Amino acid sequence: MSWLRQPSVLPGFGLTLGFTVFFLSGLVLLPLAALIFKTTAMTWHEFVQTVLDERAIASYRLSFGAALIAATVNAVFGFIVAWTLVRYDFPGRRLVDALIDLPFALPTAVSGIALAAVFAPTGWLGIRLQEMAGVQVAYTWLGVVVALILIGLPFVVRSVQPALVEAQRDLEEAAETLGAGPFYVFRRIIFPAVLPALVTGFTMAFARGIGEYGSVVFISGNLPLKTEITPLLIVIKLEQFDYNGAAALGFVMLLASFAMLLTINLVQGWSRRRHVGAGN
Amino acid sequence: MSIALDQVTKRYQGVPVVNDVSLNVRQGEFLVLLGPSGSGKSTLLRAIAGLTEIDHGRVSLRGRDVTHLTARQREVGFVFQHYALFRHMTIGDNIEFALRVRGVKARARRARRQELLKLVALEGMDDRLPAQLSGGQQQRIAVARALAHRPEVLLMDEPFGALDAKIREELRRTIREIQRELQITTILVTHDQEEAFALADRIGVMHQGRLLECGSPDSLYMRPATRFVSTFLGAANLLLGYRTARGVRFKPVSSGVHVPREVVAVLRPEEVQLSVEENQAQSNYVGHGTIEEILFGGAVERLRVRMASDGPVPVAPGREGDSGLGSLLEVSRTLPEQRDFPVSVGQSVAVGARRIHILPTPISSFTAVAATADSAQALRESPLLAALAARMQTRVAVRVGGGDRAPPGMPVVATGPGSTDAARWHLQHGAVQLMCVPPAESVPDHVVIHTLDTESRRATLAVAASLLRHLPAEAIYLGIPAAASPENERAAQMRDLLDVRSAALSEHGLDMRTELRPGDVAEELQRELASHAHGMVVLGTANPASIPWDWLETILEGPTPRAVLIVHALRHEPAAED
Repeated sequence: MSWLRQPSVLPGFGLTLGFTVFFLSGLVLLPLAALIFKTTAMTWHEFVQTVLDERAIASYRLSFGAALIAATVNAVFGFIVAWTLVRYDFPGRRLVDALIDLPFALPTAVSGIALAAVFAPTGWLGIRLQEMAGVQVAYTWLGVVVALILIGLPFVVRSVQPALVEAQRDLEEAAETLGAGPFYVFRRIIFPAVLPALVTGFTMAFARGIGEYGSVVFISGNLPLKTEITPLLIVIKLEQFDYNGAAALGFVMLLASFAMLLTINLVQGWSRRRHVGAGN
Repeated sequence: MSIALDQVTKRYQGVPVVNDVSLNVRQGEFLVLLGPSGSGKSTLLRAIAGLTEIDHGRVSLRGRDVTHLTARQREVGFVFQHYALFRHMTIGDNIEFALRVRGVKARARRARRQELLKLVALEGMDDRLPAQLSGGQQQRIAVARALAHRPEVLLMDEPFGALDAKIREELRRTIREIQRELQITTILVTHDQEEAFALADRIGVMHQGRLLECGSPDSLYMRPATRFVSTFLGAANLLLGYRTARGVRFKPVSSGVHVPREVVAVLRPEEVQLSVEENQAQSNYVGHGTIEEILFGGAVERLRVRMASDGPVPVAPGREGDSGLGSLLEVSRTLPEQRDFPVSVGQSVAVGARRIHILPTPISSFTAVAATADSAQALRESPLLAALAARMQTRVAVRVGGGDRAPPGMPVVATGPGSTDAARWHLQHGAVQLMCVPPAESVPDHVVIHTLDTESRRATLAVAASLLRHLPAEAIYLGIPAAASPENERAAQMRDLLDVRSAALSEHGLDMRTELRPGDVAEELQRELASHAHGMVVLGTANPASIPWDWLETILEGPTPRAVLIVHALRHEPAAED
């Protein structure tokens, strides 16, 4: 077993590998296996019926659709925020930089309640939006999107920031001396350099949006077929002691999340290959 | 002129990083800007490319004024130290970038790309990514990319800085060949003098934001004009020498009536000849010394010789300061020289100089003159004198009490009671330059220049230029004709003033304002001084008696004394320059 003796700063490859395997098994794989096992208690017909139920389909559409819209909005505005923080120095920059992470730290229910209070038809912003644009945010699918934007923003900003720092100024200057205008430089030089990081951030925001529960339930209104997200549907099934049904929906979510994370890893691997050895 | 810079100045937070640089580069010329880091050479290059805006001056490329154009509009090729290749594009796309921006058709782009890849000897690399190439190959691609749009000018910012020695040399040759083949005007920035010698048609040496000297590699090495260039380009021993009837001598001459003229001599290590006895040397005798260190360096042997304490005086004291020991001389000898006269550490040798070069610098050294050792030391450490000595790499000697003649070089006295008499005494006893320094005054920001007669003009401008090269001060030259002179002479006086200005600029590289102020000399100088808190006067004369001594006394011994430098041009002096 020569591969057990690999040189490293810290000894104990065997021990650490054992811990890794145990940790992953105990905390990730085992519960997931239990979830899959639970669904096997259902017949194929029952499974299909639960998963393709009208209410479930509507919830997928909302969950995935809202997450997609929110992640797209975040990709655009997160990029701008990251750009501002990296490229400009202004008073309060560090404060803004710290604020970005707040949605990470806050209990999601708190942000949900806060959003609901502001965007509710009687809320401070809700009233004005209703009056000026005739748009109702709270208790519609828009509310779900707003909540997911809040939750997803840090993912995009924190992925793009290091890539922007790394994209050297001399690349832009080189393009400029070669005759490229500002827009051309952005499109052909800056954007491609940051794209892999942006895709990563987008995917992470998207994945997080699909699974988000706490911040959404307060602002969405939870109307079946209209503003009901999949995680909520799972909770409802649990409250009705329909464990198998909840497990089946959970299984679908699991597959979706796994697909997302696999994509992230592939994207990261691809971008790393492109930049290999370019550190000098 | 392919590239013309006219008084280019760039400041960062008020501090000039490029200071008043004027430069012309001929079509097809390869110019290397050489200087230590922080000398402003990269900033100047970026200013030419339009990557940095300048605060003052003009940049023209091929006769076209591009001062206010962006980098994009200037059509130059720029090569960066860290290649700056677009990593997400293939080599082919990188090279075609400039053409694609210009909307060149695909077929023409491909043809140009093949041509360029052939030029840098990297054919067939089209589809690789930059990350798959070595550093040297990447820099070749960067050169090819910068040439794609056929720029009129190629600018390179330390292009070999990130490469190891062997590849560096190879790439250096490639670049030289390409430059010769295309006959493209090129400016390359480096801190490596070997690189500058290998590449340049002409070298411009930069220091503290100024372009000190510009010339062919051999003329800069053989005949530098400044202390900095002589020590930065190759190694040099800078010694104080004394002009005598029989040439330059290195020991202070103690006999004779006149104060000997002090000069700064450059003695290259390879021009030093070691021998057993003084009379064996066929070269100019410098002094006796002891071998202190021998380093074997392959083709040449490097030695340090400690000169006897009564031997030649170094221009700038080394780390030892004035410890009473003699100066250290750097010597290098070839293998045949070593065979002819093998030496060992501790051996006493006679030192000769095969060739010396006298710097045309008008200020050779300072001597702080005072009545007591303490006050002389205080004067030596006074802010202005200390700053000047440090910036000009010039020695400050000390003289306590009077002698029978003025010390050689520039005597310096402190302002205050008695200083006017001291100044007068020195000028009467052989001093050709004299400075009076207020003990608390720091570096001036305003220098007023005036000459009392036309004979002293040249020497005065030379001294003022040498001083101002090392000061961040503005200079003004006052022409002060008598108020009673008739109006119809004003035009001639004005012309005369403009001649002074152009002579200062062309002969001494001194850029100064000029003003005509009919009136009384003392009054006008006083008025100009009063308008600035840290003003200094440079006053030239061929006849010390013509100095307005009463006014000088109020300046030197009054409540707010100012620094005054007096240049005493001797009427029958042979020209200082060789």
